[in-house]
Amino acid sequence: MSYYLLLSALLFAIGLYGVLSRRTAILIFMSIELMLNAANLAFVTFARNSGNLEGQAMALVVIALAAAEVAVGLGIIVAVFRARSSTSVDDLAELRG
Amino acid sequence: MLLLLILLLPLLGFVFLGFFGRQLREPLPGVIASALTGLSFLLVVAAVLSGGASWEIKDWLPGIPFSLVLDHLSGYMGLVVTGIGFLIHVYAIGYMHGDEGFSRFFAYLNFFIAMMMTLVLAGSYPVMFIGWEGVGLASFLLIGFWYTEKVNADSARKAFITNRIGDLGFLLGMALLYSLFGTLSIGELREAMESSTVLPLALGTAGLLLFVGAVGKSAQVPLMVWLPDAMAGPTPVSALIHAATMVTAGVYLIARSSFLYANLQDVSYVIAVIGLVTAAYGALSALGQWDIKKIVAYSTISQLGYMFLAVGVGAYWIALFHVMTHAFYKALLFMASGSVIHALGGEQDVRKMGGLKKYLPRTHLHGLAGALSLAGFPLLAGFWSKDAIITATLTYPFGGTGFYIAGLAVAFLTAVYAMRWYALVFLGEYRGSGKPHESPPVMTLPNDVLAVGAIFAGFLALPEPLWNFIEPYLAPALAHVETHHMSLGVEWGLIALSAVVALVGLYLGYLAFNRWTLPAWYRTFQSWSANAFYVDRVYNALIVNPLKELAFIFALFDSFLDTAFVALAGLSAWLGERLARVQAGYVRVYGALMVLGLVAVLVWGVLR
Amino acid sequence: MSAFDLIAGVLLVASALAAVTLRNAVHAGLALVGNFLVLAMVYFALEAQFLGWIQIIVYAGAVMVLFLFVIMLLFDAKADPGLDPLPWMRPVGAALAAVFFLVLAYAFSRLGPVNPLADVKLAGGLPGPVGELLYGRWLYAVLLIAVLLFAATVAAVVLVQPGVRGARKKPQVAERERELEEVGR
Repeated sequence: MSYYLLLSALLFAIGLYGVLSRRTAILIFMSIELMLNAANLAFVTFARNSGNLEGQAMALVVIALAAAEVAVGLGIIVAVFRARSSTSVDDLAELRG
Repeated sequence: MLLLLILLLPLLGFVFLGFFGRQLREPLPGVIASALTGLSFLLVVAAVLSGGASWEIKDWLPGIPFSLVLDHLSGYMGLVVTGIGFLIHVYAIGYMHGDEGFSRFFAYLNFFIAMMMTLVLAGSYPVMFIGWEGVGLASFLLIGFWYTEKVNADSARKAFITNRIGDLGFLLGMALLYSLFGTLSIGELREAMESSTVLPLALGTAGLLLFVGAVGKSAQVPLMVWLPDAMAGPTPVSALIHAATMVTAGVYLIARSSFLYANLQDVSYVIAVIGLVTAAYGALSALGQWDIKKIVAYSTISQLGYMFLAVGVGAYWIALFHVMTHAFYKALLFMASGSVIHALGGEQDVRKMGGLKKYLPRTHLHGLAGALSLAGFPLLAGFWSKDAIITATLTYPFGGTGFYIAGLAVAFLTAVYAMRWYALVFLGEYRGSGKPHESPPVMTLPNDVLAVGAIFAGFLALPEPLWNFIEPYLAPALAHVETHHMSLGVEWGLIALSAVVALVGLYLGYLAFNRWTLPAWYRTFQSWSANAFYVDRVYNALIVNPLKELAFIFALFDSFLDTAFVALAGLSAWLGERLARVQAGYVRVYGALMVLGLVAVLVWGVLR
Repeated sequence: MSAFDLIAGVLLVASALAAVTLRNAVHAGLALVGNFLVLAMVYFALEAQFLGWIQIIVYAGAVMVLFLFVIMLLFDAKADPGLDPLPWMRPVGAALAAVFFLVLAYAFSRLGPVNPLADVKLAGGLPGPVGELLYGRWLYAVLLIAVLLFAATVAAVVLVQPGVRGARKKPQVAERERELEEVGR
């Protein structure tokens, strides 16, 4: 069953690439969701491989967490958009050293 | 408390004049300084009459008290220092008239008196060392008094650095004594020495190291080079510090430590030889000088050599006797020279003087008294003390016939150069331009007192069977040395011999520098002597220049290090600039760096 | 490896790639929805039925709808907001992702063997056993999640509260924006 583990690793890497290459906040967010789901896939696979339900419980917790994150994250995006009329993260460069 | 007051009065003058002297009008700082020194002198007199005193702070340093002792030795020395010091203060009021640094000068002079009295009254070596360094500092400040001239500043530094070599010897000697006996109090050391089980070698080393200190301070061969240059300071300074008092500190140190040296025959021999060499060197160099003050300066070196010869053979009281008579006539000679310089408006070259007898009658008498006393003219102070030294080389345990003959020869030279000085300055025709004028009474009056001393001070200690006040007075403070007496006939015969030598020297000098045209060999000698036998040049070649080269190499190395460090700093600045670019404010860059760290941690975790 | 596994894997990877590369944000969001739905199927196959339904309802449904809603609200469907100031970020990101994948794959390859009785024990991952677990040993985690959700709700409301736009912008920020605009012109 390490096929699904490999798949989860691949999905995670794709999500990572998305986070690094996407330039608008919403799309970065979606990439992060992809990474979270990859992690969930790994949890579920572990549960399946070991016959232990705790992995599934963890995945449920992650889903709830993701919901909270989406609520706050989208709120931030909307607020930033109101202030700057843009969701490009490259415009948020005020912390430049 | 009385003893402390002796130090504190001049010190108070120093502080007061240092802070407020500039606000005072001209003669006032001089008057205050002189009064304080005079008061100090009266206190010393009172303390001496009351038979001595001592005072100390317990646990000044761990295990070392701050102690002041006025016994017969330090009382005697203190009288000389404050007495002569007072006269020179008064003289300086006239000499420094109109100088910009008038009050500064008197502040320094008071500081010097305070430090010198610390040195003299010290009951332990560390306290003496404070005074020792303090007079060194005062000397430095006063030599460089007219510091805007580079020569003066250089001379001051030369004196300071040369003294430092001696001070190191003093310091090491103290350290050795402390490690041997566990105390540095002079009284305790003296007791410890009597029941001593310490190796003579260690004691001898300690004695030798202390002597190195004395050599530096008293300008003995080979550390004598600073003294002639020290004449860059104002003349009262030359008189006070570099003739009458400070330079005799070395002699005082040896006399104070006489309990140590009396047991060290080899070290005493070294001291005597160095004293004799110094005496000869000073006398020969004095013969060729053209600067009025430098002649006197080299004569000081020569006379100090005599004193060391005396302490070397074990005749401690005679050395101190000579310290006193020398203080009188050398201060007199310097101040007469100063008077002449003052009269000629700053001229110091004896070739442009001559015939001043006519213009400066008072000063002429002073100069005559000083020169004759220096030359050892019979019955004058210098005659008695110098004769006592020369005779002591035969009667005291560490002496010898060789010392006697050499001492006599130097006495002859002394008479010649004393007469040369007198003849060139006061006899013959006036060779300069301008009209000389006699100095004011404030300058001549102290000289009168000094002249009386230079003539009559010798009568305090006359040879057997006549009276001698000084030897029994000083005896309790000095180590007891067995002497063998000679018969009265021999003794007075020797005295007559040295009188004849002095008279012949004076006569020859009179003839040579007033009448004769000098032969060619003398002119060669003259040029060597005028350059003090090129000792400075030899030191430059052997010590100063190699050190400079070494310093240059170190400087190269230093600049290399400097460059390296600058490069290092540049590298980190460059790196910082590069790294600052990373902080571009782009969230994605931060994200990428975070992922990079995550990958690193993950790799480490997986491969562990 | 069955045909289902293969098809699911291909679909998952393809939809994930589409989600991170498509230029149109709405298209990317829809690709992500597809990805989540396939993932739900995979959960069913992995004896996690309750989780699968939750995935469909909460993730593919509620969360992704929220995403699409915000995309449309902000008129920000374009994935490329002008010139890229960091053009090298794409290959670097790809390289980092590849390295990450390799390391993870290496780590997974060293895991132990599969428990043969696992599917029996899981019993399909029905709500009953999962619920027992959640309200038993995981009770505190669930409570914490509740608190977190509450806080997130409050935060979302505060962040997008209407009528505070002007007050929220600090003078320095406004200044800086004007400068940026001038430079941009």
